[in-house]
Amino acid sequence: MIDTALVVAMLAVPLGAGGLGLLAPSGRVADRLNLAAAGLTAALALALAAIALLAAPGEAPSGSWYVLDPAAGVFLALIGLVGFSSAALSPAYLRHAGRSWFGERRSHVTYYAAFNLFWAALLALPLARNLALAWLLVEATTAASALLVAFSGKRSALEAGWKYVVLTTLGLAVALLGILVLFVAAGGGGLSTLDWSALTQGAGGLPADTALAAFVLIMVGLAAKIGWAPVHNWLPDAHSEAPPPVSALLSAALLPTVLLIAWRTKLALAPAVGQTAIRELFLGFGLLSLAIAVPFLWRPLPWKRLLAYSSLEHMGILALGIGFGTPLAIAGVLVHLAGHGVAKALGFYAAVPLLRQEPEAVSAPARGIARASAPTAGAMSLSLISLAGLPPSPLFVSELMILLGGMDAGLLAVSAVAAVLLALGFLGLAHALIEGLLGEAGAAARRPRPRSARAVALLAGVAAAVLLALTVTAYWLPGSDVVQALLGGAA
Amino acid sequence: MSSAPIATLVGLGFGVVLVRRRSLATLLVAAQSLLLGIGALSLAGGDGGGLALAGGILVVRALALPGLLALARRRTPEPALVAPSTTVLVRLLIASAVALAAIAAVPPLGVADRAAEHGAVALLCLGIATVVTRRPALLQAIGILVAENGVYLLAVSVPGGLPAVVELGVLFDLALVLTVAAAFTQKIHERVGSGDTDLLRGLRD
Repeated sequence: MIDTALVVAMLAVPLGAGGLGLLAPSGRVADRLNLAAAGLTAALALALAAIALLAAPGEAPSGSWYVLDPAAGVFLALIGLVGFSSAALSPAYLRHAGRSWFGERRSHVTYYAAFNLFWAALLALPLARNLALAWLLVEATTAASALLVAFSGKRSALEAGWKYVVLTTLGLAVALLGILVLFVAAGGGGLSTLDWSALTQGAGGLPADTALAAFVLIMVGLAAKIGWAPVHNWLPDAHSEAPPPVSALLSAALLPTVLLIAWRTKLALAPAVGQTAIRELFLGFGLLSLAIAVPFLWRPLPWKRLLAYSSLEHMGILALGIGFGTPLAIAGVLVHLAGHGVAKALGFYAAVPLLRQEPEAVSAPARGIARASAPTAGAMSLSLISLAGLPPSPLFVSELMILLGGMDAGLLAVSAVAAVLLALGFLGLAHALIEGLLGEAGAAARRPRPRSARAVALLAGVAAAVLLALTVTAYWLPGSDVVQALLGGAA
Repeated sequence: MSSAPIATLVGLGFGVVLVRRRSLATLLVAAQSLLLGIGALSLAGGDGGGLALAGGILVVRALALPGLLALARRRTPEPALVAPSTTVLVRLLIASAVALAAIAAVPPLGVADRAAEHGAVALLCLGIATVVTRRPALLQAIGILVAENGVYLLAVSVPGGLPAVVELGVLFDLALVLTVAAAFTQKIHERVGSGDTDLLRGLRD
């Protein structure tokens, strides 16, 4: 009962704040209202995450449309924290955003309305206990986030937003076709036919060919939203053009959360489709995403675009981990999800002071940041070092666990190829970091350090603590109840 | 649904890929949605709730959404037709090849009506082909509606139908996405003076 009230409150607060914010008389009032609502939303999300993670195995609290299983707990914590941090940093972005798509006067309130709608849909997504409901929520994220991607109203932002709307909507149409096929194969009836638990129980009786067709359609469709290669074209553009706090939500929360839906579908349909076909599909997406992302990590790219290609790389790693499916690999996936979310969000947050001090970094690689702004350089370093997988980053441990999990599954060649690609990616990111920090500082060094650099430094401190905690947690995670629950699917 | 209306639906989908005028494409997709809606109404039979649901969906799909697209077209006048990136014949060949290949590749989907399965897959592919081969943003938005009509064709062919909450949820999401797409169409036109998405190709690595 208490969990239902918390779930309703967690979704109602951002939706209410978004609606109420439209009436705000000034941008400053909208900023304060949004920050207060974001704090409350994050607190509710963390409370629900605790309930989900502390529940006895097999006894996940659930309601008519939601389930608070361990996977939901992990994702709620991640989305809650990243959402709050993005909300906290949004005023710093909006203060200097100037004229946007919506005009200067309305830009704050429209931004917050779309932001909160997007965040609420994201928070609801990992809770969905039903495939059709999950699809509806994934689609619901598109409209609000597309407006945010194109928020600046610049030509390039419109291009990115348009590409995002069209590609992901078509992908989701394909996924919906697969869901319909699955619904018919499962015997039709009511909405509960597509509950994760009902699908898991009934999967053994599904016709193998039909189940495989449905699974492939759903995966291919979701891949467009997750940003897996070869249907990733929108990802680098949307991440680089969106306001940095939104880029953080896109990369650290949206992509992994849609990936959770793919993961849940895999777990539910495994008895019908067979492990081999499922594994091949996930490993295919994983290796292709890695192979396409890594060469871009070697190119001199603008900061946010570099982070975007890093997202493609990391979604590939997660696909590999889920595809391997061993307990060690799944533990690695969990650590990777959280570590990537924290490190990537920090990287995008660092773009707020970076782009304020060095506007040229929108379209060119950052240079000499260490001389221009030590706090910004510190945040960028922490982000990139973690994303590259340098010890003691939790991503070093998680990548190791995933690769060892692959060997454990007997997939030595796939693990070896992935290891080589990860090593190349590491070198590319390390090179980008050295150039960005130590290169010749341009005009940025003569400009005053923006106020947002202090906020980002504070976030970097928190992120460093969380990342270290994750590294420690990684040693405890394999064999834990949380991993066991994730191996068995939703409750 | 019998084969003739399904063939007509697919024919209208091909029309969207081929015609040059945005107004004509809007009319074609409206006619497609109307025909699909009438089919859904007839399949609902005497079920009052089912009829009301199918009727509501028909109004939104065949009137409101094409109306929204027509409004977006009126607000984005083009001084001249956007030159197509490919000829009609090439578009016809691409669309036919993609649709036929997909129909051949997709195994029986388990819905009793095989013609509906083929029609759904063909419309989905034609929607995608429209997005890929047409340059005006509005035509690409119409392509999204064609693809969604393909999914709806399969949905109405499901024995016993889909749960109402899913049908309404899908409709709501579609309306939301097309509203955003229409807003983008206007903004792109305002920014570059045309709805030609080829003018937006600045993001490259």
